Amino acid sequence: MAPPAKPITSPVSDAWYPTLALLMLSIGLVVTASFFIYEATSSKRNRSLAKELITGGVASVFLGFGSLFLLLSAGVYV
Amino acid sequence: MGISRFVLLVFTISMLASPALSDLVLSKVDRRIYLTSHIVRISSTLEVENAGPETVSKVLLAFPDLQAQNLAYLMASPHEAKAKFKVSVVSFPIDVVKPEDMPPGVTFYSVSLPQGLTVGASFTFDVLAVFTHALRPMPEQIGQADIQLVLYQDSAYYLSPYVVKVQSLSLKLPDSRIESYTTLESTKVQGSEIKYGPYENLPAFSSSPITVHFQNNLPFTIAQELVREIEISHWGNVLVTEHYKLIHGGAQSKGEFSRLEPQARENVQGPSAVRYLVAHLPPRAHSVYYRDAIGNISTSHLRGDSKKAELLIEPRYPMFGGWRTAFTIGYGLPLQDCLYESEGRRFLNITFSSPVIELVIDTLIVKVVLPEGSSDISVAAPFFMKQCQETKISHLDIVGRPVVVLEKTNLVPEHNQYFQQWEEVRVAIQHVHNIICQCLATHDKLEASLRDLSRTGEVQACKAARKSTDGLLKELSKELKPLMTFLQSSPSAVQVLSKVEELVAKERELLEKLMAKHSTAVEAYDKKSGARDIESRIALQQQKITALRQEVDDLLEFIDEI
Repeated sequence: MAPPAKPITSPVSDAWYPTLALLMLSIGLVVTASFFIYEATSSKRNRSLAKELITGGVASVFLGFGSLFLLLSAGVYV
Repeated sequence: MGISRFVLLVFTISMLASPALSDLVLSKVDRRIYLTSHIVRISSTLEVENAGPETVSKVLLAFPDLQAQNLAYLMASPHEAKAKFKVSVVSFPIDVVKPEDMPPGVTFYSVSLPQGLTVGASFTFDVLAVFTHALRPMPEQIGQADIQLVLYQDSAYYLSPYVVKVQSLSLKLPDSRIESYTTLESTKVQGSEIKYGPYENLPAFSSSPITVHFQNNLPFTIAQELVREIEISHWGNVLVTEHYKLIHGGAQSKGEFSRLEPQARENVQGPSAVRYLVAHLPPRAHSVYYRDAIGNISTSHLRGDSKKAELLIEPRYPMFGGWRTAFTIGYGLPLQDCLYESEGRRFLNITFSSPVIELVIDTLIVKVVLPEGSSDISVAAPFFMKQCQETKISHLDIVGRPVVVLEKTNLVPEHNQYFQQWEEVRVAIQHVHNIICQCLATHDKLEASLRDLSRTGEVQACKAARKSTDGLLKELSKELKPLMTFLQSSPSAVQVLSKVEELVAKERELLEKLMAKHSTAVEAYDKKSGARDIESRIALQQQKITALRQEVDDLLEFIDEI
């Protein structure tokens, strides 16, 4: 085989999985907490839909990636 | 009954033997039969001499049908000085052939030599034949404390369609306890080795049956079914799960079984029982588990070094003759040890068969689970096997992962070689893109030469530029052809194929128009007509050319983004 074969590795190094999982989950949980606090402390009149949507979206992105890296660090290579 | 059947067969063969093939002569045959395990390995060193009128490139190997039924692995390789039965890297192709005028009851294989054997020349090569189920336990039923005796039948003379000048045979037994063996002229016993020969000048298809009855207490592990699942995850892990269904293939156990006796005096009681199995896993195997339907089995040891990880597992009970057990072994391998990328395609390079040593497998099913969305899958294996595809739905899957199922029967440890599996990433399109860019560059050169022409009025330089660009464009179109055929034949490029074909067609149109414009301009200059005249002639063509050029650029950008 003329061209040499290059081994394929994961885009994120293995050793980072637990750190990334912890980091992303904690950020996601903090943003979720801020979403709940916002909902609890605001009244019907001064609630802004845009802020709710953005906070919810950011929280779900971080929680989603955090749970993916949590699965990977636990050995369930999805 | 088996013995007399074998003798009758051999007698028939020698009676019906036709005259030997006159072109090849085996000047020296050295056979070593290794009976040191339940897998019988025959390693023969053959020296072939061409005494005939023409160059020969194929050598026939013959096995009696009864033996050929048990043949699991056959390999011919060039002779090495210190020959032991290891799998050599270089091997000659072997095919099954059915030549005419040959006695019945014999199976023939033909070895293709790398270079033809010229008249008078001789060539030495090694043949390794591995047989399964070739040792018969005799007596067929033994008690728990009895030793296991097995019977092996073969022929003292090498069965061959050619005349053999000198031959010798040596049988290596596991230990020196031999019940009985056939005594012919020039038979010697040295410790645990029996030597027959040397015999000289034997005609073709001669054979003399011998039987050896000896003690073999080595484990007769046979896996009736082994399902091996290899799951690839691009996040960095290849997970291998193996489901075994083992049986002890030696003498059946009769009478009562007492658990106390094997535990009390281990080496004396039940010497032929299978107490443990050793598996050689790849070096960086991790997360190894060993369990069965009941749960985890803790009697196992794992030791690793840089070449392999050795796993020693003990089944829940020692397996006596005829007993079965079933368990699962699983381990993970780092991705960079197995998955590689080359020429735009990814391939998985992994061993095919079980890592357990000295295991005969009756049916092996290998399932390779590829990541979701893999396409254009192909398998390259060193031997033939049945293939099919299915889908498996696993963690976080939407459509399901493609699974390639490979099935093979009658395997021995020699089959544990690497096989490869390819899946496609489109890079041929990148090549096409590059070539089209080069074509456009040559178009620009032509335009530049035209501009020079209008400035300086030198027609010759223009014509020379035209010639050189013609040559360049011919080469580029030659390069393009094989890429286009490859893209047309590969199923994964279907969506992009239409766009690529459009791009190529438009580029060709552009080229033609540019050439036409170039020729009219050159003609006009030849005829020395006025500048205004020339401009008006090529104006229409120029418009079309600019429009086409825009389209080609758009398509190129689109393809670039893929």
